[in-house]
Amino acid sequence: MTHAAPKPGKPIWPRIPPGFVRAVLAGHSSLGLAFAVLIYVVCFSGTVAVFAREFQRWERPDVAPITSVTPQVVERAALQAIAHGRNVEHVFISAPSPDYPRLVVTVDDDGPNRTWLAGADGRLMSSGETVWTEFLTALHINLHLPRTWGEFIVGLTGVALLSSLISGVLAHPRIFKDAFHLRWGGSKRLQEADLHNRLGVWAMPFHVIVSATGALLGLTTVIVGALALAVFQGDMDKAYALFLPPHPVDDPRPALAPPKIAYAVEQALARSPGGQVSFVGLEHPTERGAGVGVSVTQPNRLAATDSYTFEGGGRLISAERMGEASLGVQILNSLGVLHFGWFGGGLIKIAYGLLGLALCAVTSSGVAIWLARRRDKGRPAPRWERLWIAAVWGQPFALSGSAFVGVLAPSPILPLAVWIALTISAGLGTAWLSPASLSRSLRMASGALMLATAALWTLRQFRNVEDPMAWMVTGTIAATGAILLVHALRKAAPAGAEVLAHSKA
Amino acid sequence: MSPELTTLLAGAPILAGGVLAVWLLRAAWSNRGPSRPWRVAGGWTVLAVVSLAASQALGDARGPFIAWTLISTAALVVVATGVQIRTARARAEKSLAPEPSERQSRAWRGWLRALLAGPIGMIAAMGVAVAFAVCAPLVPQTRIVIGGLMVPVLWGGAMAWTLADDRILRATAVLVGVSIVTFTAAVLKGF
Repeated sequence: MTHAAPKPGKPIWPRIPPGFVRAVLAGHSSLGLAFAVLIYVVCFSGTVAVFAREFQRWERPDVAPITSVTPQVVERAALQAIAHGRNVEHVFISAPSPDYPRLVVTVDDDGPNRTWLAGADGRLMSSGETVWTEFLTALHINLHLPRTWGEFIVGLTGVALLSSLISGVLAHPRIFKDAFHLRWGGSKRLQEADLHNRLGVWAMPFHVIVSATGALLGLTTVIVGALALAVFQGDMDKAYALFLPPHPVDDPRPALAPPKIAYAVEQALARSPGGQVSFVGLEHPTERGAGVGVSVTQPNRLAATDSYTFEGGGRLISAERMGEASLGVQILNSLGVLHFGWFGGGLIKIAYGLLGLALCAVTSSGVAIWLARRRDKGRPAPRWERLWIAAVWGQPFALSGSAFVGVLAPSPILPLAVWIALTISAGLGTAWLSPASLSRSLRMASGALMLATAALWTLRQFRNVEDPMAWMVTGTIAATGAILLVHALRKAAPAGAEVLAHSKA
Repeated sequence: MSPELTTLLAGAPILAGGVLAVWLLRAAWSNRGPSRPWRVAGGWTVLAVVSLAASQALGDARGPFIAWTLISTAALVVVATGVQIRTARARAEKSLAPEPSERQSRAWRGWLRALLAGPIGMIAAMGVAVAFAVCAPLVPQTRIVIGGLMVPVLWGGAMAWTLADDRILRATAVLVGVSIVTFTAAVLKGF
């Protein structure tokens, strides 16, 4: 039996009832509007935070890159850090990696945590504090709110984004018919819809991965809490214990000898041939009940970290090789790597940066479609148009300002204070400026602040730079600032947000 | 050769493959002649080959994620090269896009819809996830992690559904029912 070939142009996709599409579109619209600002802030800060390692190197350019360290160097750095602390609870050592070629030592003792950068010989050299990068990552992870609440809100934002992706696909009956349409400069609504749909559809794998992993990372505490409540009588430690290595037996008496760190690292490397030590954690290093945790990273793996725990004397008490771990443990160890784009070096980071900008544009254009639709129907919302422009262009403005003060006066509180002040001032600008002027002013100010940041950094650091990555970051900041400034100053044909204002003026 | 250099070198053919695949799909989209099915098949075949080759060269799990990330980026470049620049018009063009449905705007419906999309949807999603974590025939860690991954997906799905469905009481009954059944099953069975 033979079948006639379908006529050219006949749709192969089942027809979706228009009533269903309209209902899903209503839900998509209301959810997007309710979470637009949160989604945008989280996505924009996340896009910049993809390059957090590079920004850390930029903030501390005075340390030369280190490609690898010996177990003895790790031990030397750890013992120096222990000597600097009082009643040391933990010492955390991050070994050099290709994207962060530094030996970083953090001490958790009676006072606030302190971080040092160590040289290739293990000697502690300078403070490893990177205040602006810390500000940036905390903005993305918990919006600088109390940790549990902030992470929950960011997780909820991830769920809202995931839900918008689901409803966006369902509300898009012309998904194949319009697959390559990108019309720019005609009808505002058509332009924004094309941008929204093309960026949304073609980057869908990225959007789904970052929203699902981000939501799960943010909601971990709530999910584990629910699980513990249902099946462990509310004891969350029992749930976490399924994933964490065992602790050494507690013995608070003073240690007779320092923990055998180099020996533990050598043993871990011998058990994971081909790997590179990535992290060493010491627990109660000055007590007899000391423990040494060693992580070894394997190449070409998504869940790449083998974990070993030793007693202070060097006896192995647990080993978890990722190749032999359960599927659940492998997935768990892949979540952060996939979310932050840490699985393919600089190339994937650049792709994540571009796709992250695409996600910001999807969010921005989604609200712009709603505003344009209102205008087309004779119900313009000029105040919302101004506020949305302030939200969209206020973020590069506020982040640039925070980076500038991060270079000018590195203090943990200043970047956040400036970010809040500039975000508010962008919002206040809506009282006096038209949408077009507001957009142009914020882009100009952002560009100028980026150029000023690059110039100030060069003035302050050019004699100290040991890490070439710092120059690349400075150059990128300056180039981005110049592009923004030129774009804002140029008298181009109306495009983007200002069309809204011009088209009905 | 270091893994970083391998990834960098593999990036060029993956990007080229992505551009070729999406270019073939665009050619099929813009030209509805007899060669269209071949171009569609060719485009998808190139995507599959690139994904498989990446998994061989860059790791079973890691390779496909690298491939999809770079293919998405390449696709956006191909789409951008086909941009049509139009003249801005003072009057809006007639849009073919569907309009969102106009709903009854009663306050209680709005509040109930928000509750369904928010806390009730979350509890129902967690109920299913906890029941899965308790009942699924897998090792405990795998049950918990897959259950955890189910939460944002199910909650997101519940959000999309309850915000779209005009039969709001039906959605309420389903979500509350799912929550009661799943949490009861989890508590009764135990971990």
